[in-house]
Amino acid sequence: MKVNVLFFGVTADVVGKRQIELSFERPVKSGDVFRQITDRFPTLNDHRLLFAFNQEYSTGNEIVSDGDELAVFSAVSGG
Amino acid sequence: MKDILQLTTDPLDIGEIARRVVPPECGATVTLDGYVRQFTKGRETLYLIYEAYEPMALKEMKKVAVAAHDQFEISHVSIVHRLGRLEIGETSVVIAVAAPHRKAAFTACEWLIRELKRTVPIWKKEVYADGDEWIEGEVSARPSQV
Repeated sequence: MKVNVLFFGVTADVVGKRQIELSFERPVKSGDVFRQITDRFPTLNDHRLLFAFNQEYSTGNEIVSDGDELAVFSAVSGG
Repeated sequence: MKDILQLTTDPLDIGEIARRVVPPECGATVTLDGYVRQFTKGRETLYLIYEAYEPMALKEMKKVAVAAHDQFEISHVSIVHRLGRLEIGETSVVIAVAAPHRKAAFTACEWLIRELKRTVPIWKKEVYADGDEWIEGEVSARPSQV
C-alpha cells in the first residue's frame, strides 16, 4: 500500500520536499503515518502542525488505503 | 445563488469582485480588502509570498461560505484569495458579502475573514531585508490536532 504525504510552506522547507511516498505492509491509521513523518523529521515539531487526510482536517483515526493523500503543514496564515 | 470561491495568481480587482454578483433582493454589499502591510510590529516587509494547498483550500472556503449562509441573513458570498508574490499594498484577499440589509453583511464579512484565517490552508511568507519567515497562525486557532 502506497500513500502520498504532502508538505507546504515551512514544512516543505523542513522536509526539503513537497511530497513523500510511503509504503506500508499492513493497515495503518493516519496518525501512525503522521507520527512516522515527525519521527523522521523531528524539527517539524518546532512548528504548530496541522494534519490533513484526503484534503480534510484529520482526526488521526482514519484508516489509510492505497492512494490516499495526507498532508502535514503549519497553522495557516492566509488573509 | 452560487458563491464565488477562487484562488488566483492574478491581481485582484476589488470593485469588480464586489459587483460581480448583485442579487436583486439585496441592498448592501460589504467588502473586505485585505492587502500587504509594509510594517508589522515595526519590522519592514519587502514583499510576501502566498502558497495554498489548493484543492483543500477551495473545500475549506466552500465550508466557511456554507456556514455563513446558515448563520447570517445573507444572499451571496465571494471569497477570492491571491497566491504567489505580492508587493506592498497589493490586495491579497477579497471577501464580498451581499445581503438584503447591511448589518448581516458586516457581521458575516467579519466572521468569514476570521474563519478563513483559522481554517483555510493558505500560508504567507514575509520577506524582509535581512531574511524571510513563514508566518504561522495562532495555537488557539488550530482546527484539529493529531
